[in-house]
Amino acid sequence: MINTIASGAGPTGDLRLEALNRRIAGRQILAGIDLAVAPGECLALLGPSGCGKTTILRLIAGLERPDGGRILLAGRDITALSPGRRQVAMVFQSYALYPHLSVERNLLLGMELRGVPRQRRQQEADRVLSMLQLESFRSRRPSELSGGQRQRVALARALLRRPQVFLLDEPMSNLDAQLREELRPQLRAILCGGEAPVVYVTHDQKEAMGIADRIAVLQNGRLQQCGTPQELYASPANLVVASFIGRPQINLLDRGDGSLLGIRPEHLQAVEEGGVAVRVLSREWHGASQQLTVASPHGDLRWITSGAEPINDQLRLGWQLQHEHRFDLDTGLRC
Amino acid sequence: MSSSPLRQRPALLRISMVALLMLWSLAPMLWQLYTSLRTPESLLAGLAGLGGGWTLANYSAVLQADPPFGVYLLNSTVVGALSTLLTLALAIPCAYALSRRSDLLKLVIGGGLLAAAVFPYVLLFLALLQVARQLGLANNLLALCLPYAGLSLPLAVLLLQAAFADLPVELEENALLEGFSLGQRLRWILLPLIGPAVVSTGLLVFLFSWNEFPIALTWLSRSELLTLAPAMARIAGSSVFTVPHGAFAAATVLGGVPLLALLLIFQRQIVAGLTQGAIKG
Repeated sequence: MINTIASGAGPTGDLRLEALNRRIAGRQILAGIDLAVAPGECLALLGPSGCGKTTILRLIAGLERPDGGRILLAGRDITALSPGRRQVAMVFQSYALYPHLSVERNLLLGMELRGVPRQRRQQEADRVLSMLQLESFRSRRPSELSGGQRQRVALARALLRRPQVFLLDEPMSNLDAQLREELRPQLRAILCGGEAPVVYVTHDQKEAMGIADRIAVLQNGRLQQCGTPQELYASPANLVVASFIGRPQINLLDRGDGSLLGIRPEHLQAVEEGGVAVRVLSREWHGASQQLTVASPHGDLRWITSGAEPINDQLRLGWQLQHEHRFDLDTGLRC
Repeated sequence: MSSSPLRQRPALLRISMVALLMLWSLAPMLWQLYTSLRTPESLLAGLAGLGGGWTLANYSAVLQADPPFGVYLLNSTVVGALSTLLTLALAIPCAYALSRRSDLLKLVIGGGLLAAAVFPYVLLFLALLQVARQLGLANNLLALCLPYAGLSLPLAVLLLQAAFADLPVELEENALLEGFSLGQRLRWILLPLIGPAVVSTGLLVFLFSWNEFPIALTWLSRSELLTLAPAMARIAGSSVFTVPHGAFAAATVLGGVPLLALLLIFQRQIVAGLTQGAIKG
């Protein structure tokens, strides 16, 4: 059932961005972005605010025009097409529900104006309402709904568009942490694995790793790396990706030879001999795990280890060679 | 709420302040109402003869004059309604277009509109009269809508532009992605949301045209075409020997009733329109 709703009216296919450039008031917002998203695949655009990830979404939607490059959908060049003709559905960060209309009218209006026959639009609306457990809210105004309910209505409206691409702009950022965890698998089940590519913008690496098949990390309008969460975690292409993926942040030690050694907090371990001598500065106990900050000759290190392990104030920390990451100090690139 | 420091004023002071303000703004109107219901003799007797001298004769005199007062009311209503519709029909698209720009031209246009809105229009009426003569618009009731709408447009565009600008832009963007045309976006999304602002702007225009005097006085001379303001001036100056206080007051009251009705009907939208944008979200 999920697939029949997510599937588009026309043939769906992959989304390709080729050498996208965007400049606003002389400032380079995006520089040479190349990305491809397969049908049913969920790509997360991850990066700090201002990195250009929302701009990419708006370019795909047609709300902005690129200054260079092409956008291809199922092999067709849609770069110059108006937003209404792209068959793209977007869930905005603010949800953009029409505040003067009931939930049901919010869903029906678009189909009504697109000329879907009355009986069919009611059927479709009923179907997504029940799929997203919104039946009992159908006559409420958006202002009478909680944040999570609003998000589901926005999602329902996007599904009804029968889009060839789903775009989601930080759809979870207005929800509290617990609700986010609950909704993540739900969102994945509804959107991904259908026939339309999904592009998901977030600044939360945990969310990106939890929801996406692949993650594209962006900074300053440039694509840093694109790969599966596992690839990004195991072999980050540069310092930006290394410090953006994985929490707590990766430790970076200056080796004095023009390179930095990266070692993730979870890969440090207490050793009898060898390694480096450290002194515990602070402890946070989280139950299953504990997070410590320790002083070493190379600077302070973040260390995460099992909550059951007793830790002395003075100890030696080591790591396995396979967990070392090396980065060039000047370029930041992996070496 | 009741313990809020903003509400802890002594009751007596509060009530007397409110009473004073009410008296200040309502007394002239109540005085007109009183005058309109008194015979000329009892008006001269002052407050001593309140027991008698009440009459509806002033109203019947005004309503049965030649032409009857109802004609002026109708004229003013027609001119007011048409001016309002014309103004809104032009101001809404202008305001929308202006609200979607963010460049130097918008600043220039906005500044120009503001200058036009605060310009004292009375200074224009002689020039307008020339225009009316040239174009043969004198003594044409409907032609009055042209200067009225023209003079109201700057303020109307500014007010509506602010209302459009206050709407979250994602609402329209989402409608755009849903495939709505410009007309559909205005009809189904934007206009319903700025409804209160449209209503209060429309009422401002209607009020202006209802009260307007110099242009109506100079453009219209045939008595059956007069709007309220010049008509009332005629009643006031209709006799060389006496001032017809009673008849004039009755005309004032009658001329005020439709406005009062409009304000009551649209009360909610007016308040919402005036406070729109004060609190976001």
